[in-house]
Amino acid sequence: MTPAGGVGWLTSLESTAAATAMRQSLWLYPIVEILHIIGFVVLVGSAAMFDLRLLGLSRQLPVTGMERHLLPWARASALLIVPTGGLMFVAHATEFAGNPAFRLKLILLVAAALNAAAFHFRPFRQVAEWDQGARAPLAARFAAGLSLVLWTGVIACGRLLAYF
Amino acid sequence: MRMIAAIALLVPAAVGVVPVGAHHGWSGYDSSKELTLTGTIKEAGYEHPHGHVRLEVPGKVWLVVLAPPTRMENRGLPAAKLRVGARATVVGYPHRSVEDEMRAERITIEGATVELR
Repeated sequence: MTPAGGVGWLTSLESTAAATAMRQSLWLYPIVEILHIIGFVVLVGSAAMFDLRLLGLSRQLPVTGMERHLLPWARASALLIVPTGGLMFVAHATEFAGNPAFRLKLILLVAAALNAAAFHFRPFRQVAEWDQGARAPLAARFAAGLSLVLWTGVIACGRLLAYF
Repeated sequence: MRMIAAIALLVPAAVGVVPVGAHHGWSGYDSSKELTLTGTIKEAGYEHPHGHVRLEVPGKVWLVVLAPPTRMENRGLPAAKLRVGARATVVGYPHRSVEDEMRAERITIEGATVELR
């Protein structure tokens, strides 16, 4: 149901054809949910496997090799995640925008993205020094641990927003 | 990465909007206060994630939260049966904080009862 008295741009999102189809088509909503889940399984799975390597597991594998394999998948997964997330958002835009779990999810998402960007611009620049068989520097390990915490939080908030 | 960073732009827009209560899960409803209501459907929404009706009973209109449309369809309550003007009986629980809202455990329309949980 569309709550009355929402903010203008949110209610206009809810009245788009895509939003109406999401609410009223029998199978579109669950299909979009499934695609969203497949997308973030690839994204968070890639991030977690990379993070565990940085934290010291499977040190015989080169970090650069893992990065070359996982990062393209993580990027491609956004093509599934973002449009499907957008569709779920517009279906109930007012409700989502006011949902504390959804707001926290977006904040954690931004934090996770900034953390990943900071990792790439800082410790990853010197990866040649610790690419294989060596301990990653503290900054890299810190970013990896933080990444695991943030992505866990994003998933938790994504599930919990249905309960707030 | 850049795509995710782009989502960051949405945050300032989302913050500052007045929270609106969502209606999902059963924990928000007080199962110790079972209600049985019979009335006329004034509005029907066969919508995701949960269908709803506004049910007019003597002196009051309840917002009755139902089940996902796919489940209702599978259990023999297609959209056509959930029509405005139909008589319906719902058994369910009132919302703990939202007055006039209840979540239905089952609904009976035209003599056919459909379990919603």
